Amino acid sequence: MSLRGALAVAGVESAKLGAQPAVQILLGVCMLGPFAFLEVVRLQASLPEDTLYGRALRDSGFATPLVVLGFAGLWGLPVVTSVIGGDLFAGEDRHRTWTTILTRSRSRAELFTGKVLAALGFSLLAITALAAGSLAAGLLLVGHQPLVDLSGVVLLPARALGGVAIAWASALPPAFGFLAVAILVSAATRSGAAGVGVPVVAALLMQLLALADGADTFRRLQMTSAFGAWHGLLQEHRYYRPLIDGAAVSVTCVVVCLALAYRALQRRDIAG
Amino acid sequence: MVERLALEALGVSKRYGDREALGGVDLIARPGQLHGLLGPNGAGKTTLLRILLGLVRPDTGTISLLGAPLDTGRGLAEGIAGFVEMPGFYPYLSGRDNLRLLERLDAGGAAPRISTSGSVLEQVGLAAHADRNVAGYSAGMRQRLALAAALLRAPRLLLLDEPTNALDPAGARDIRALLAGLAAQGTAVVLSSHDMTEIEALCAVVTVLHEGRVVVAGAVAELRRRAPADVYAVHTSSDAAAIRLAAGHSGVRVTVPPEGTGFGLSAGLDALDTFVLALGQAGIAVRSLERRARSLEAMFLQLTADARGTEPADRRTAS
Repeated sequence: MSLRGALAVAGVESAKLGAQPAVQILLGVCMLGPFAFLEVVRLQASLPEDTLYGRALRDSGFATPLVVLGFAGLWGLPVVTSVIGGDLFAGEDRHRTWTTILTRSRSRAELFTGKVLAALGFSLLAITALAAGSLAAGLLLVGHQPLVDLSGVVLLPARALGGVAIAWASALPPAFGFLAVAILVSAATRSGAAGVGVPVVAALLMQLLALADGADTFRRLQMTSAFGAWHGLLQEHRYYRPLIDGAAVSVTCVVVCLALAYRALQRRDIAG
Repeated sequence: MVERLALEALGVSKRYGDREALGGVDLIARPGQLHGLLGPNGAGKTTLLRILLGLVRPDTGTISLLGAPLDTGRGLAEGIAGFVEMPGFYPYLSGRDNLRLLERLDAGGAAPRISTSGSVLEQVGLAAHADRNVAGYSAGMRQRLALAAALLRAPRLLLLDEPTNALDPAGARDIRALLAGLAAQGTAVVLSSHDMTEIEALCAVVTVLHEGRVVVAGAVAELRRRAPADVYAVHTSSDAAAIRLAAGHSGVRVTVPPEGTGFGLSAGLDALDTFVLALGQAGIAVRSLERRARSLEAMFLQLTADARGTEPADRRTAS
């Protein structure tokens, strides 16, 4: 396998993803959705006070991206990554294009690597769009007032911006974990619907399991728990254990899922 | 001087579970040769082409393409192209954009400095529709696009699975002319089809597959010489009397009655003339006489019928 070949595939896959209406709509929703959300909140009499930073939505524009991150961690980010990764391999089955791309000069290893790179890039783009969109909505519609962190310390705008950036960055490992699940389901089932739906259902089940009584270790080993790891980062005395545990679980999930998906593609006969 | 073969596949076998798709098939094609791969549906033609294109791994056999062993772990080697069945394209992109993406895949990076997508679209007669989304293409247009995608690779070995089955007669004629032109320039073209007429008109060499095995292979001219007489469907005023009369005529062979009435007759033209005159002299009127199969087609039908359930007697390597 050559890196140049894999990058060529990544370029082609990126062009294909960018041309797909579902992905275009997803990016548009990520960019503009937070504006709609904040406008609705501003029109309402009450605030989503049971959500972290919900009561601060009208006090600081920096609260908006944190509230959006809280909601996105429940199901939004699994949906975003599943839409991108869930059809990555199954789409070739649906369009019957495996024979078209496998009769070119690129190996299966290059095709797999390029596709995964493109999906990672688009997932990062979509998450960045959601973070940037919610930050822009907060700053433009509310303002750049200081933010109070979870210890009660007032953060000036520059530090609040840094906190928001770190909080969103901490969501990347579990988001990529769900992307890898979507890729595996897509490659194994050859169904785009399953590729999109299974990771989202899995995320919801994890949320339900987290509500049940049980060992704390079990709760920490669920990928959805990693979406809340940023709570430890917006404290005067930061704690990193949830971040480290979440990253470890997510990386393990990525490695296992991608290895299984690669094996499925390598062993597959394209036999019609 | 040792001649370099474009394709050498020996003893290729493939099983899907309990079903044997290919059982020790040999296929050899030379540069500049149009080689027909003929067989009824399910004979193993497409499976063989899938193996040659690296889409399916054979269970046994050795395969060499343009002098290099087939390596399914790598992409298709330079100079080799083809397609099986009706390959798909991305419906949300135009035909031209689909070809550009494939060009980028082949080039291993950014779009090549000189794109040939425009010229191959001209070659297959699709230039006027190149900027329409593939979602709106007819089956024939998709087939032309598939051929254009193969031609992008400037092939010296072209492996095609029924490349004209979705085209109208004029379109099929154009594509056959294109393939003949490629062969004249030195490209080896392996062409699978279940249409004997197409293979006979286009190919110099043919390999006939049946139930995953080669039942006959060789030069079309040689096979034509060995072929049985044409087959006719005959209806007379007294079929029973006509069949009894035919039994006494040399060069005429009665086959199974078609569809319950009339009967089938295998005969050369001279023998047929003599037999028809004899029918008239015997007071038997000929109500219809229709040629059912041309000589090679008759041979194909006979071979594939004879091979059913028996080990083929005539297994040779096509060259």
